[in-house]
Amino acid sequence: MDCTADELMAAVIARLVRDGETVGVGTLAPLPASGVLLAHFTHAPRARVIIFNHPDYWPFRGGSKEFYDFAQRGRLDLFFLSGGQIDAHGNLNLFAVGEHERPRVRLPGGAGSAMLYYLARRVILFRREHTPRIFVPRVDHVTSPGSSPPAVVRPGGPWLCVTPLCVFRFDPERRRLVVASIHPGVERGELARRTGFALEWAPDAGITPPPTPAELHVLRTRVREALAGAYPQYAATAFAG
Amino acid sequence: MPFMPVAGHVGSDYERLRPDFRVIPDPFAPERPVMVVPAIRCDVALIHAIAAAPDGTLLLDHMEDDALLAQASDVVIASAERLATADELRRSPAGVVLEGIHVTAVVEAPGGAHPTLVRGVHALDAAHLREYAAAARDEAGFRRYLERYVLEPKDHATYLARVGWTAPPTS
Repeated sequence: MDCTADELMAAVIARLVRDGETVGVGTLAPLPASGVLLAHFTHAPRARVIIFNHPDYWPFRGGSKEFYDFAQRGRLDLFFLSGGQIDAHGNLNLFAVGEHERPRVRLPGGAGSAMLYYLARRVILFRREHTPRIFVPRVDHVTSPGSSPPAVVRPGGPWLCVTPLCVFRFDPERRRLVVASIHPGVERGELARRTGFALEWAPDAGITPPPTPAELHVLRTRVREALAGAYPQYAATAFAG
Repeated sequence: MPFMPVAGHVGSDYERLRPDFRVIPDPFAPERPVMVVPAIRCDVALIHAIAAAPDGTLLLDHMEDDALLAQASDVVIASAERLATADELRRSPAGVVLEGIHVTAVVEAPGGAHPTLVRGVHALDAAHLREYAAAARDEAGFRRYLERYVLEPKDHATYLARVGWTAPPTS
């Protein structure tokens, strides 16, 4: 395929953004930022786009407090989260790998994820590495759970998970990630070997449609240029052409 | 504010790892569990301002986090890129103005945020941060970093010279 893995994932994300909705992208998230900008520059011109640390996409006077208050009010239709570990149940670990007090890897901490995962209506998980150390059977610590008992106020939660190999869909009935589509050129066996939990396939699972030439053109021009306002290094390396 | 309720969080390992975070029944809907977190009360806050006035008025990053931190702390020591008059700071279009009543002391220290950034003044020093990240991979490397950049420099000017700091152009 004539595109980078980041371009494919950005195109997948872009198609999931709906015109007119309010979309937020947090810190350290250049991949979803490029997907959201691609949508905004194509089919979703009326989406309200919030990108942390981007001066042109910060529709607040104040800072993260104003954003978190906005999110707790339930105003985000779509948000993006990731994890140092992600398990089959959509649980995210941003605390530590190994024992919390003597970790093998100290992760950055939850920040707002344990609120945003509950309050943003649809959450797309993303990870640029698809290996058994990331996609584990059970996270070592649950920074933010994939699902909650009925008594807990939780209007939102996981929707999809985008990786360099596939797209998972979160099945709310079974509270589990299932493969929704596999990327072009990826073998089912390879996907199974590089996933730490047992794969389950959606009945309609097919091949992820690759980016169109038009999508790649917008990514490599307008998106690359706009993204540089927050992520100059990523903008310089993630795109081909 | 004695404590604050936060949305979400219930059922996560915050309950196990943070015993100071409590889950209580929502007083207005007792069937709903809600997490409450204690107020953070700092003894001392060290923050870096875009500019400061002699009366303690600060021009801070528009993201407001530093302004909130200052208001949560008993003692606030602010370093600043430059000194200015309080009137000039209040007229500034960028950033957030924090009144001097919240501030204990002001220190003029251009480059005081290095290797991180001061939005609108200078970018972060990516090369230095990469050097730190590489050094911090093991104990010996971290020690060497600490000696070279923290313990050996006798003052801020020596530190800036050692990291190759160049003052940003004044606007």
